[in-house]
Amino acid sequence: MASDVVVASEAQRPRIHVRGAVKSFSGRVVVDVDELVLGEHPIEGLLGPNGAGKTTLMRMIMHSLPLDRGTVTLRPPDGAEVVLSSQHPDHMARYGAVKSNQVIMDFEKLTIWDSLLLPVTEVRHERPYSVFAEGAVFREHEEEMRHYLDYFGFDDPSGFAMSAGEKKLLDIVRCLLLRPSFLLLDEPTAGLPDDLTEKVMAAIRELAAKGTSVVVVEHDLHVIWGLCDWVHFMAEGKLALSGDPQTIREHKTVVEKYLGEGHV
Amino acid sequence: MLDWLDSFLVSGLFDVVMIIGLALLLHLQLGLTRIANFGIVGFWGLGMYVFGVLYVRVDWAFGDPWQFIVCAALAALAAGVAGLIVGWLIADLNTDGVLVATLGFAAAVQILATTEDDLTGGARGLGGLRIPFDVGKVKEDEFAWLLALTSVVVLIFLYAWRVHRSPYGRLLIATGSNEALARSLGKSTFRTKLWMFAVTSGAMGLLGAMSGAMVRYLDVGNIGIGVTLAAMVGLVLGGTVRVWGAVVGVLLTVGLFDIVVQIYLPLPREWYTQTIPVLREVIFGATLIIVLVFRPLGLLGDMRRDKLMGKIHGK
Repeated sequence: MASDVVVASEAQRPRIHVRGAVKSFSGRVVVDVDELVLGEHPIEGLLGPNGAGKTTLMRMIMHSLPLDRGTVTLRPPDGAEVVLSSQHPDHMARYGAVKSNQVIMDFEKLTIWDSLLLPVTEVRHERPYSVFAEGAVFREHEEEMRHYLDYFGFDDPSGFAMSAGEKKLLDIVRCLLLRPSFLLLDEPTAGLPDDLTEKVMAAIRELAAKGTSVVVVEHDLHVIWGLCDWVHFMAEGKLALSGDPQTIREHKTVVEKYLGEGHV
Repeated sequence: MLDWLDSFLVSGLFDVVMIIGLALLLHLQLGLTRIANFGIVGFWGLGMYVFGVLYVRVDWAFGDPWQFIVCAALAALAAGVAGLIVGWLIADLNTDGVLVATLGFAAAVQILATTEDDLTGGARGLGGLRIPFDVGKVKEDEFAWLLALTSVVVLIFLYAWRVHRSPYGRLLIATGSNEALARSLGKSTFRTKLWMFAVTSGAMGLLGAMSGAMVRYLDVGNIGIGVTLAAMVGLVLGGTVRVWGAVVGVLLTVGLFDIVVQIYLPLPREWYTQTIPVLREVIFGATLIIVLVFRPLGLLGDMRRDKLMGKIHGK
């Protein structure tokens, strides 16, 4: 799949900068990250035990959860820095920052075709008077949508995503169709069989090779070690370590707090 | 001409068609976008009264049909602006909040219609309205006006039918189904709800203006909860998520009761003033409860988006 991909240089990658980001729930600090730059490597992993604050941090970055303190900014490769933490959640995708969901999320009443057409449709086709635009939108994006349908093996796009796995894949495809410049994936392969996990990993690699910065939160360590160029380790709401996968894998703190003895 | 036609039947059919129009607009609000507007009569009544006040109180330099067209357009605009303001207030509220706010709006419109009696005639009412053309006898004018209303409601039906087959309809369904997910895909759900609510409220105002011309005499009793209840019960019975649900449901409720029962059943004459209106509300309320308990998706059932997408885009 990635054979014809032109690899983007590191300087072309967008970066997300987290500064002094704090989030508390009922007085308990869940995330307290002083400084974190994401996107310096094509694919970065975010690792940590349950309750470390990974998903909360992801949601803070996307501003689906407001910060108590601090800022999150996105620096596109060819544009001015954008303060994500002061934007509406629906503006994120317009700046190229897209996130998949940890828990399965779907549109109950929409079919697979709908789910694919929704992210690719431009605002001008979604106005109250634009009631004859369906054909044009479909024709414009059919090839791209069919590519993903074939690749992930969706048999009947006019039907609904039934299984948890289909819904999870659909969530990822929706993100890919938005052509993100910065993609955050929260446990993208949870619940998927091995062959589909490999396909998701290949699609992520291809996307990263084209210049998208990818951050993956995963508990499947096979995915983290096999996919990521750089890994951040979080514990108790703080960023504890950053390094290449091998370093993180062997680090005493990570072994003690997360992996356990005998994992390496 | 039209000797076979009973004028009570024309009036009854006018009400049925008008409630179908309101139920179709409610279908876009509640069925697709999940905004439970319990203040339908507020927007409809605002349109009716703005039309009436402009039509009667302003000294227009031109007569009908332009006088009607200009007043009705301004009435629709006023209802649309009210929809924009109410929509802005309720866009981020939960179902309970939306219910209370829209009910409150409808109550405010009725109170204003009563208290601003310099403009609206208050409890005395406001006369001087008329159908904007004269084709012969009163019954013939009313029948022609019924056809005009039917044309408008057919257009609303075709619009709702097209919405289901458009990216806009998909956005409405996505917004109603999972707003957070739609937002994460870059969709401004707030703006979507706001404009949908404003446009449909404006259309409700236009229906109100047309009803004003039909009744000729505006009375605050016309803008009570019964209008909202009729549209809501009809739509819920037919199926909130189906376009045909509005038509089937209203025909089976308002159509059956206001036309078949009231015109063709030999009911005691004294029932018509007090008993029948109360009986109507009781039957509609009971229908709503029964449908919600035993068939919450209505007679036509769930949206068949899979069939529609299969037909439009294939596999």
